[in-house]
Amino acid sequence: MDFHQDPAIEEFRNMVRCVIAEELPAEMAERQKAHGGTNSVVADTLAWTGKMNARGWSVPHWPVEHGGTGWSAMQNYVFMAECSSAFAPEVCWGATHMCGPVIYTFGSEELKERFLPDFREGKYYICQGFSEPSNGSDLARLRTRAERKGDKYVVNGQKIWTSCAHESEWGFFLVRTNPDVKPQAGISFLMIKMDTPGVTVRQIPMINGDAELCEVFLDNVEVPAENLIGEEGMGWTYAKFLLDHERTTSSFIFQNKREFARAQRLALRETIDGTPIAHTAQFQQRMARIEAELTALEWSVLRELANEDFKYDRTAAASTLKVAGSQLQQTISELQMDILGSKATRFYPYPQKDREDAGPLWPDDLGGRTAQALIARASTIYGGTLQVQKGIIAKLAFGL
Amino acid sequence: MDFNRSDLQRMLHDSAERFVNEHYSLEHRRSLRAVQDGLDTAGWETFAELGWLAILVPEELGGLSGCMADVSTLAEVLGSRCVTDPFISSGVIAPTILSGASTSQEDLLGEIVGGTARVALAHDEPNERYAYSQPRATMLAASGDGYTLSGQKMMVLDAPSATHVIVTATGPSGAALVLIPMDAAGITTDAYALYDGSRAADIHFDGTSVAAEAVLADGDAASALLSLALDRARVTALAQAVGSMEAELDICSAYLKEREQFGQPIGKFQSLQHIMAEMFVETHQARSILYYALSRLDGGYSPDECAKAVSLAALRVSQAAQLVSRQAIQLHGGYGVTDEYEVSHHYRRQFILEKTLGDMDYFTRRLSSL
Ligand SMILES: Cc1cc2nc3c(=O)[nH]c(=O)nc-3n(C[C@H](O)[C@H](O)[C@H](O)COP(=O)(O)OP(=O)(O)OC[C@H]3O[C@@H](n4cnc5c(N)ncnc54)[C@H](O)[C@@H]3O)c2cc1C
Repeated sequence: MDFHQDPAIEEFRNMVRCVIAEELPAEMAERQKAHGGTNSVVADTLAWTGKMNARGWSVPHWPVEHGGTGWSAMQNYVFMAECSSAFAPEVCWGATHMCGPVIYTFGSEELKERFLPDFREGKYYICQGFSEPSNGSDLARLRTRAERKGDKYVVNGQKIWTSCAHESEWGFFLVRTNPDVKPQAGISFLMIKMDTPGVTVRQIPMINGDAELCEVFLDNVEVPAENLIGEEGMGWTYAKFLLDHERTTSSFIFQNKREFARAQRLALRETIDGTPIAHTAQFQQRMARIEAELTALEWSVLRELANEDFKYDRTAAASTLKVAGSQLQQTISELQMDILGSKATRFYPYPQKDREDAGPLWPDDLGGRTAQALIARASTIYGGTLQVQKGIIAKLAFGL
Repeated sequence: MDFNRSDLQRMLHDSAERFVNEHYSLEHRRSLRAVQDGLDTAGWETFAELGWLAILVPEELGGLSGCMADVSTLAEVLGSRCVTDPFISSGVIAPTILSGASTSQEDLLGEIVGGTARVALAHDEPNERYAYSQPRATMLAASGDGYTLSGQKMMVLDAPSATHVIVTATGPSGAALVLIPMDAAGITTDAYALYDGSRAADIHFDGTSVAAEAVLADGDAASALLSLALDRARVTALAQAVGSMEAELDICSAYLKEREQFGQPIGKFQSLQHIMAEMFVETHQARSILYYALSRLDGGYSPDECAKAVSLAALRVSQAAQLVSRQAIQLHGGYGVTDEYEVSHHYRRQFILEKTLGDMDYFTRRLSSL
């Protein structure tokens, strides 16, 4: 074992930090800071992607021939860490981390040319249409039907929880092309333009006043057959590839670190009988334990990045990061709520970009905190629920 | 001991349940967000008609001379539908303080009981998580025959729909409780909503004039009255939380039977059965400690013994409410975090109940100071 970090990494970090400082407009960072969630204002996401693309850095983790930088896994990690701590907007994960990799791995040359440059440039937002009302955890039985008619697919069905569908130009969808085989074998991966006739989007009002998740209704939607990615019936395989592709991101390590740092700042400001909360025994103990968990999570991520030989199935390691990271998101947001006490109960209109000024009595770093804490309840639900992740670990690590 | 409801309490419970279930649908509650001061006028009239606002008012002042167990019976039902109407302020805090005031407040109590007056309590001040041990910075100064009131209050619950506000202040003889009509001159309010749809306001008093008889209590009497009112308010909030948790048990157990994944009801998964069982245990423990607190408040115990009981109950109920409200969402998957399912409303309501009148850290400190 050698726990030394390559010194060149620190030079790389400094270089990246300087570039971000140069490129990131202050008001964009301010918006992201107030928001602080796992996604950003869509316009910021796209503008930031465009700026990074001008440097050749919008999809650093992609293969070089598709516009990647050729950085090592550790360099990519450092880059994302720096973006996050500088409050750069999130990228459009659907494009850069999900659909993009599926297209460059399985898509035709035509599809690559059509989509990959747009994804790199941040030309538009795209959404992920997998889940359905009756099929969330049990995704394989999805029912949205795509029937081949000549050079088109005719799509009928309904998707739900499609994040940002109302702001997306395209969506990547899992659809059933063959109902007569076992569920996993009849699924295909289809690109659908969101303004196609027959596509209707309804925003779902959420627990925190936000409405970024949507229902997507597909009513006789005609999709050109060339929008099929890869082969018909291979959609499930591609979806699994996509979900496995980015093992470490489900840890939300950057967000966890950033929000813990925010909790530390809030704890220095909020006082009890004149003493900053951060200096009271109760909170010191609690914050120390959370910091220990956060540090463990970061080292779990580093082990994954360094490709440690692992005795168990690697997917069990990815699920471990998700189990620990998703719960840590909740623990840290609960900590923030407890630091703020009764101040956390005030409703702030969402999204923060439109938020009214609460006046001088209310610290301006408050807006968005409770909204994020409320939606953090979803971190153990999306991307495979906590129970499903634990089931995966039991099965893949131990054959249970 | 008899833990069953008395006949009167059963009647109170049943009529409350009938009205609340019929009136406070999810859609109706969501529509109240658009109401300026958040008050459900029709609902509040019924609160008065059914005598709910008279429970804690002594008979000689036109009330029912009820006890906290009665209040709890009603509050549990309110909690089961996340009712945010200002019952704690006008049905618990105000009757407690006004009926113990050194000047007669019979008229105002009559209006409260009749549903035409609503009274909020302005206690918290800027730069504090909760009102810990500091004296209030809001000052009551002698002036002519009366006084003037100056200072800033924060997060005055239910103030936007209130007709009056009781203000805690530091006066010539120490602590003071002062009654001010909301339309008095020299008051500026900034109103807002909380995450469960209930309303609050920050109120600034700028030399507001106060008649001598508007000083409800001062010195130790004011502190004692305030403690009693707050402890009653806290227990009422705990009862609402218990009602909310019990409603969640029904909602979630029904959902586990109805929702299918992998070709079977999700209630067949043992991991979810265990979550449900744990929610049940927590809720059970919460109701038990609620009864302990009620026994102290209704049993003529000393203020310190009551404070201890209320603090212990708050700690245990909060712990239960956190687990139950979080798991209720988890069991619902994506539906749980939408505004369109009951469990997200229970989550927000319990969050507000847990954090408005002191939180777990507050009660831990209070216990160690007793
Ligand atoms: C904020 C958010 C964003 C999302 N974004 C997207 C998106 O962009 N695109 C998209 O396609 N989807 C998205 N989703 C959907 C998400 O992936 C699903 O919500 C998730 O897969 C769970 O499905 P469900 O909501 O139907 O819950 P269900 O599957 O109905 O689960 C209900 C409960 O049953 C439990 N359960 C289910 N199966 C088992 C089992 N085998 N063993 C034990 N317990 C089980 C679950 O753990 C949960 O507690 C998003 C969801 C959220 C909340």
